[in-house]
Amino acid sequence: MPESTSERLARLLALVTYLSDHDDVPVAELAEHFAVSRAQILRDIDTLWVSGTPGYQPDDLLDFSSDAYDAQRIALTNARGMDRPLRLGTTEAVSLVVALRAMQSLPGVADTPALSTALAKLTAAVGDAAAGAEKVSLEPRTEPLAQRVAEHAAIVREAMRTGTRLRLTYVSAADETTTRLVDPLELTSDGDYSYLRAWCLRADAVRHFRLDRFLDLLPDGAAQPHPEAGEVGTSLRPQDAALRVTLTLTPRSRWVAERYGGTVTAEGETLEVELDVASTAWLTQLVLDLGADVLGLQPDTLARDIAARATRALAAYEEEVA
Amino acid sequence: MSTVAPAERAMNLVIALTHTPHRMTRAEIRSRVNGYADAPNDDAFERMFERDKDMLRDLGIPVVTLVNQAHGDDVGYRIDTEHYRLPAIDLTPEEIGVLSAAAQVWQGAHLDPVARRAVTKLRAISPAAADDVGARLRVPPPEATFEPLVRAATTRARVSFRYRAASSSARGSITPARRRVEPWRLVARDGAWYLQAWDLDREAERLFRLSRIAGSVSVAEADSATQPVPADLRREGAPPRRCVLAVRPDRAAALRLRAVVEGPEEQAPEDAASEPVPEGYERVVVLESDLEALAGMIAGYTADVLVLAPADLRAGVIARLRAAAALAAQPAPNRQEADADA
Repeated sequence: MPESTSERLARLLALVTYLSDHDDVPVAELAEHFAVSRAQILRDIDTLWVSGTPGYQPDDLLDFSSDAYDAQRIALTNARGMDRPLRLGTTEAVSLVVALRAMQSLPGVADTPALSTALAKLTAAVGDAAAGAEKVSLEPRTEPLAQRVAEHAAIVREAMRTGTRLRLTYVSAADETTTRLVDPLELTSDGDYSYLRAWCLRADAVRHFRLDRFLDLLPDGAAQPHPEAGEVGTSLRPQDAALRVTLTLTPRSRWVAERYGGTVTAEGETLEVELDVASTAWLTQLVLDLGADVLGLQPDTLARDIAARATRALAAYEEEVA
Repeated sequence: MSTVAPAERAMNLVIALTHTPHRMTRAEIRSRVNGYADAPNDDAFERMFERDKDMLRDLGIPVVTLVNQAHGDDVGYRIDTEHYRLPAIDLTPEEIGVLSAAAQVWQGAHLDPVARRAVTKLRAISPAAADDVGARLRVPPPEATFEPLVRAATTRARVSFRYRAASSSARGSITPARRRVEPWRLVARDGAWYLQAWDLDREAERLFRLSRIAGSVSVAEADSATQPVPADLRREGAPPRRCVLAVRPDRAAALRLRAVVEGPEEQAPEDAASEPVPEGYERVVVLESDLEALAGMIAGYTADVLVLAPADLRAGVIARLRAAAALAAQPAPNRQEADADA
């Protein structure tokens, strides 16, 4: 996604403030600090170098050391009085305060001391700007196994901190119990359920495991790095999906596309969502969970399969009713 | 003449309006601030300047308007440096790490760049971030109506919008009706955003799903809302209910994790009598408050798990099974069958 002008302007101003306080900083360090590429930092410095007060004579401009610049280091020599840190706008303050509060509901994260101190400091610094945050509330579903999930989350976080491999006994959506070795990558939550994103040694690929389906979890030696595992924060989309399906859904089921990385291919009175799924068992669970919100499913063979299973279940109900 | 990038032009505007001894008029800005001379005509300049001024204010930069009384509509601008500054905030490496992780909560939502911008500002005065929390939370991306509604709730303003009621059925396309409400708060729950508000026409509290609001929201002036906001807006969660299930041996291990062990004296006598466990099944009791979610989970087990009680849970599961069974007779797709090998 290309950067917006306001994001870039915020960074240009932040760079001046930061460099007023830090003399002679390597470009690489600035890039890491502001989470952008080195090339972007150099473009930003080039822009700042020609910025200043009207007249734009040498003394009017922000200035940097050329010698340092040539050595891939940045040293600000004239800040033109732009060294003040810029306050947060109202929406900015609200977005962060609400996000921090929401994180306090994450199993295994809620007790991170930095979370509550950051929230307290931020709230104090933005004052009234965060008033809107009082009007926003994220209410994640309370997991029936909340305590168990929190215990597993704590083990996972400790394993991530210490680089430990885990032996996980897990019940899949297909109701199959397996024990496998995993190297934990991150904990994620979609607001409803918590997941462990991990490198599964059995699959030799990244897998998501729902924490409320853990039967057992034990440390098992040292984990290995998995550079091929990709960035943190990727969606729940299966990386080696076995099957592409098209679901016809009611419009209110749009979240399915968002949560599982599907593509909305048609939208009107009904919604067509193309979805890559890892297994038919997972899909069966999803279709039955959605119930009447699923109006159609392609391929047809799969739809007939799921329908047959549902029909057999209905028969079981009638038998025991009789 | 080379064109000046928008961020560079805005940067120069910020510096100019910070340093101006009194104020700068639009004419001065156009002729003196680097970048504005690129505007080919008056209209283009006005659009360019208005957009930049809005962006600066959106960023929290206090651009004040000063009108010269002597010259009628002679308007000038400057930046109020007093109110520009972020109050001292001394963040530790762990805290800036946590804030960076928090900004990612909005991934994919329109608040995503907003939160990133806020973190950039904090990084200006922060040490290098420590390894972050290793955990990500994702919330449903709020609709564009989110911001005006938060503002309205904060300023106690009435709003009106067109709303597709749930009763118009999932598939229906009944013309959305105009609703006039006093917003109380926004709630994310079950993968969606809701507005909790006082409905002026129905004279009652209502919950509106943001995705059903059609078009934009009109916000009235601040303090136009008159209905007192209840002290506790949190709605009581339903108490857990005792659900009696029949589970095939060695099946549904994830569901069995939730099972409660109860002695014979805890068993309600009526379900032992009226709901006998069918042959080939075992009795499993779970406590659950969200029966809709549980029904979705149980339906996924198809014939491996049957509900004996309560009746509404049983009905929820059977409804899902019926809907899935109906897929066998689904109409032919209106396009090529999806390629299963893709």
